[in-house]
Amino acid sequence: MRGLLAFAALRGHAARTALAVLGVAVAAAMLLDMVMLSTGLRESFQHLLLSRGFQLRLAPRGTLPFDTEAMIPGATAILDTLRTLGDVTTVSPVLGAQLHVPRDGRVTTTFALGVNPAAQGDYELRSGRDPNDANELVANDEFLHAAGLQVGDTLEAATGYNPQLRTFAGQRRLTIVGRARFLYLSAGQPAVALPLRTLQAMTGHTRDDAVSLFMVRLRDGASVDAARDWIRAHVRTVDAISTADALAQVDDRLRYFRQLGYILGAVSLMVGFLLITTLMTVSVNERVGEIAVMRAIGVSRPHVVQQIVLESTVISSAGTACGLALGLATARYLNAILSQFPGLPAAIDFFPFQPRAIWTALALLASVGILAGVYPSWRAASRPIAGTLREEAVA
Amino acid sequence: MLLLLAFAVQVVMPQRTIAIDDRLAADAHLAVGDRAVVSAAPGAPGDTVLISAIVSRGADPSEIARGEYHVRLHLDQLETLTTYGDRVDRFDVATRDSTATRRALAAINDAAFGFRAYPSKDIAVETSATFKVVSRFHRAIGVITIVASAIFLLCILLLKVEERRRDVAALRLIGISRRSVFRAIVLEAALVALLGSALGVAIGWLTSAAVNGYYQAFYRTPLRFSIVTGDIVLFAVALSLALGVVAGALAALRLVRTPPLRLLGR
Amino acid sequence: MSALLTARDLYRDYALDGTAVHAVHGVSLDVAAGEYVAIVGPSGCGKSSLLNLLGAIDRPTAGTVSFQGRDVSALGDRALTRFRLLHIGFVFQRFYLMPILTARENVELPMAEAGMSRPDREQRGDELLRYVGLQARGRHRPTQLSGGEQQRVAIARALANRPALVLADEPTGELDARTGAEIIALFERLNADGTALVVVTHDEELAHAARRLIHMRDGAIITQEVLAPNGSSGA
Repeated sequence: MRGLLAFAALRGHAARTALAVLGVAVAAAMLLDMVMLSTGLRESFQHLLLSRGFQLRLAPRGTLPFDTEAMIPGATAILDTLRTLGDVTTVSPVLGAQLHVPRDGRVTTTFALGVNPAAQGDYELRSGRDPNDANELVANDEFLHAAGLQVGDTLEAATGYNPQLRTFAGQRRLTIVGRARFLYLSAGQPAVALPLRTLQAMTGHTRDDAVSLFMVRLRDGASVDAARDWIRAHVRTVDAISTADALAQVDDRLRYFRQLGYILGAVSLMVGFLLITTLMTVSVNERVGEIAVMRAIGVSRPHVVQQIVLESTVISSAGTACGLALGLATARYLNAILSQFPGLPAAIDFFPFQPRAIWTALALLASVGILAGVYPSWRAASRPIAGTLREEAVA
Repeated sequence: MLLLLAFAVQVVMPQRTIAIDDRLAADAHLAVGDRAVVSAAPGAPGDTVLISAIVSRGADPSEIARGEYHVRLHLDQLETLTTYGDRVDRFDVATRDSTATRRALAAINDAAFGFRAYPSKDIAVETSATFKVVSRFHRAIGVITIVASAIFLLCILLLKVEERRRDVAALRLIGISRRSVFRAIVLEAALVALLGSALGVAIGWLTSAAVNGYYQAFYRTPLRFSIVTGDIVLFAVALSLALGVVAGALAALRLVRTPPLRLLGR
Repeated sequence: MSALLTARDLYRDYALDGTAVHAVHGVSLDVAAGEYVAIVGPSGCGKSSLLNLLGAIDRPTAGTVSFQGRDVSALGDRALTRFRLLHIGFVFQRFYLMPILTARENVELPMAEAGMSRPDREQRGDELLRYVGLQARGRHRPTQLSGGEQQRVAIARALANRPALVLADEPTGELDARTGAEIIALFERLNADGTALVVVTHDEELAHAARRLIHMRDGAIITQEVLAPNGSSGA
């Protein structure tokens, strides 16, 4: 009967109910998106950093990976030093450079990574094979599309290009042997990967044996902090950055989005709460007479409250359910906008679906909505019955 | 460009001067008159220089969230330090007016071999990709917020008008015309919306000031993050007024069409 | 006859703009099981206030109300609500039906609250609607019923949990003479079937349908008279 009364009350004010559900849905969608944005970005970045199992990154001292043109000379010696640390299982040296590919009268410029294909953690092969021979490379779709090439083609590439004289330096003939997806590059950036030695030779870094970055994988259970401190002490030309350090850096850079997420999330929660509270307060005030009659004929106070809380529950649950769908749709749209962010890996998801955070947020909104019905209904059910009936009769 | 500063007191008198930005001065506790060693790579031999000026950073959006320091050196010293030879990344060319700019652009691009001239405006557009993304994101969030607040406003005003059932019934019963009652309700809704939006503008202005204060301090920049312009205020007030009138009219229509006795529950 | 309801030295004061209003002033009253009592008096004499105290929807400032020997004025809110649900039926001047429920759902409401199963209350609901002559109107909402029909639904609702006592506050006050007469006849039948009735009224006909007539003024009982079955004064 309480359910019947609650549903009948909601049906009786269909327009009001629909608006309230819609309002809660938009608030829930916003809350959902903001929770995803504020907590998910970090998770997504962490997931990305750890996706290939490398827990440490070594960049030239005083810099962040690929943040400057600084290099780490003496890569082989550093590799030997790193291998003396028992916890290290894999070290992947990486050299970054620009590669110019002249073809049909125009020059395509691409980001090139010199890697050790057996130990690399920068790309995932989509088709074909790794560049195991000196004159082979793998490329991403963006490069293949921009240069009009495909797997199996051979190209002329150079690391130096003088546009004034139209001359190339460090030229080499390379064959595309695979198609790859690069994990840490921003959207739309053309990229290729080739053996480290080849790129070093092309860029003139054979002699100083320079690389831009090392990625280090430790055995399971090893202390990342201990390894980082050991490397900082033993390799003076590098800064060892753990995933936690990198996350802290990212946290700092993207703090704005996190805070925006918190603020808008809190505002959404408040809007949802205010909406349902206002609605329930007005709805209850309209019915003080009815409530007094129910109390007079013997309906208990908790049952009156239950009936009204049931109404707010229906509104907040329906709104939250619609909000979940709406929120996921808007999150995809917002993610599409933010994935264009320059300098951030395209693989970063600003709005990853994290069940726990999402259910927590939605449960929060739903319970806030339910609670919104408690106070006005308890107050109405606690009014003196005889006095209320008299007032209603006068009104 | 990597520039590392090794802070060591040098015995040799510095030959050259550099300017550093206020952020570096604050973080490294440097002041005008201090000496420092600048080099192109960690541990590489460098020049001892005298800090002759501390400059404040411009309000450049592209530097937000980057913890970099800025150092200004004489061009020849930087070329020597980096072993770049007689090479520069760009020339900045000042012109008298926009016609002169166009003429200069055409002349340079016709004569140049291997480089191009661009108007600063185009370069600014190119380098502000981050902000294009952020502003698109803000616009999307703005649309969602507007939808949410529109629904909220509609709901509240509907309820507000519904509260007047009995008054409306009484007015109708004593012979006030539907038209007059309708007008009175819509006017009331419009006033409520106007009052609410005035309060909203005040809150928005304060919030904007707080946002600017916080992020300017956090990112150490004079950049203004949030600006409340006349257009924005006008848009917000007009929107809430329009929604108020629509909600008021909808609810009023329903009320004046219902027979007064039914409004009283008879 | 044994006393079903006993009121002793009832007082009910209200504060109105800082001054105390003595709505009920030292009333003592017994209602026997199956009795039919009417309370009359000028407006504002405290009839309705007394009825509210008898039905335990208001608490006396002083004095006690006992039902079947149990002091109900000492009960807590929960017990008092339960007491009203199971032992008292209310009929109001303005019917006070739930506008969003149908006639039958209105009648079933107290039964549902008492925990009766759905088939039982459906059966009892039909039975009660038949009793008040509205078996065909069960699916109608209050707004689709006439005033007299609404009051009959309200009477059916009052009888839902087979209360020993029905309290009615101006039950014919909103009705025309013909419809009022139908309600009076229904009350007589109800009383004949064993339910005790206390009605507060201005309606002469309704008052004289009772077996005992109580006159009130200024919150106190001034006279009581026992009426013969045809409505004439017997004592």
